[in-house]
Formats: sequence, C-alpha cells, structure tokens
Amino acid sequence: MLGSLAAFEHAAAVAWGAIAERLRGEARGYARVIQAREERHAERISALIRDLGGEPPRGRPPEEYAQGFPLMRDEDEALRFAADLEEQLVRAHLDALQTLPQEEQRRAVSEIAAEEAEDLAVVYAVSGEPAAQHPFVTGTL
Amino acid sequence: VSRDLSRRAALALPVGVILARPASAAAQASDVDQLERLLALEQRLQSLYETALARDAVEPGLGETLLAHEREHIRGLEMALRARGRRSPRATVPPPQVGTAFASRPAFARFAIDVETETVGAYQEALTTLRNTRLLLPLGSIMASGAQHVVALRQAAGDELLAPG
Repeated sequence: MLGSLAAFEHAAAVAWGAIAERLRGEARGYARVIQAREERHAERISALIRDLGGEPPRGRPPEEYAQGFPLMRDEDEALRFAADLEEQLVRAHLDALQTLPQEEQRRAVSEIAAEEAEDLAVVYAVSGEPAAQHPFVTGTL
Repeated sequence: VSRDLSRRAALALPVGVILARPASAAAQASDVDQLERLLALEQRLQSLYETALARDAVEPGLGETLLAHEREHIRGLEMALRARGRRSPRATVPPPQVGTAFASRPAFARFAIDVETETVGAYQEALTTLRNTRLLLPLGSIMASGAQHVVALRQAAGDELLAPG
C-alpha cells in the first residue's frame, strides 16, 4: 500500500507540473506550490518504506506519465483534471489508513491526506467555487 | 491517473452508517474517549460559527456552509458514540470567547483558522491511535473537511490559501 501511495505521489507531482503549464497568474503559482508538496509527500512515504527495509518505487520520466493525462486545452480543463487528481489522492490516503499498522505510518498518511484536502480546496477556490463544499470529503475511485 | 474517474463519481460515503458500527468491546473504551474529545471540538466550532453569524463576523454564505458541515460532523460523532453505549454523550462545549475574535470578519477568520487547525490536529491524533479501523475512513473524511475549512477561512481572511511549506 505504501508503495502504491509513493508511486501515486510521483505521478501527481508530474501531473501538477503539466497542470501548471496550462494555468496563469495566481493559479499557476499555487500549482507549483502543490507540485512541490507532492514531491515531499513522495519522499516522506518513500522514507516509511525504507524504514521497513523496502525499496520505494522511483519516479518515471515525465513523458511516460504524460501519456495517461487527459487533454488539457485550456485552464478549465486543467483545473478539472486537478480536481479529479486531488479527489483521488484524498481517497487513496484515507483508504490506506485502514491498512497501516504502525502509528508513525498512520500519522504521516493522515497528515498527507489533510494536505491533499487543502490542495483540493485550493483547486475549487481558483476555479471560482466554494473552497469547502462537503462535510465529508471522500472521493471515490 | 485518468480523467475518466470523474468528479461526478466523487460521492460521499454513508459516513453515519459506518460511524455507527460498534467496535469490539476491548477497543471501545479508548476509542470512545477519542470520539468524545472530537465531539467537544466540533461542538466548539458549531458554537463559534453560530456566534459569528449572529455578530456578522463572517460572510453569511460561508458561515452557514461551515456551520452546516459542523452539524453533520456532530451528528456522525453522536451516532458513533450512541452505537458504543453512550446514550447521552458527555461532551460539553464552553461558550465562545467574546472579544477581539469577533471584532471584524478578518479577525474572526484568523481566530477560526486556529480552532479549525487545532481540530484537524486532534483528528490526526485520533487517526494515529484509534483501535477500531472502521472509524478511520469516516473520521479521516471529516478531518479532510476541516482542512478545507482552513483554506476557505484563509480566503476569507485575505491570506495565502496555502501556508508556507
């Protein structure tokens, strides 16, 4: 499960780089901040895997991830992709909590889940929508 | 990462149903304590937004939304407690502090950011130590909502939406 999360975070960091290219102004600035957060998340989860004696997955070249991204012809499409991505990230981390036996693992993943929820709220806000929309933030995969 | 996984498919789980499932007897004592603590924090937030709305210290649309969310969080937590034998949850909420917190909308937003952040931290603590793993997803989804409240309040305060990393 941790390996899947690390791999997802690597992909998310590249995805945010692609999203940022389609955005302007303040939205682009937030996209770059979120991209850096995803990179830190990938590293934090990778550290947990190493603590268990495992080898975390490495990130792949950006062009490999890009093949799986939707077409982003304008800002609206980029923001829709960003919202989809962040909903999936929130849900993936909350789902993972149930499988993690150690407190340190759960703490890290719950803290990352909260940051992903913040990122989703930022996407809503820069899209002109309310930042906090639902009392229970549980996107489904 | 596929866009086919549409936002329209992002539906809330039946959180109340999940929260209401009783845990094993051995796990209940500690988990109940944590649920009661979270309930007290949610009740504090509810009281905070009620007072802010009454004092015009928050934009009404935002205040009503956040208040409605807190009421849903409280409903879920109370269901979880009742399912664990707490017929009358013990949690009580102190009245909100009257003073500079409600002096202006930005001042209230910054005060509420602190309270929401504290509450998110309490959920993270609970998610780290809860014994009943069935509670993790619904409580995690409430924690995520709290994190989004912080962003909404930063926006209301005119602050950067994301805190410096």
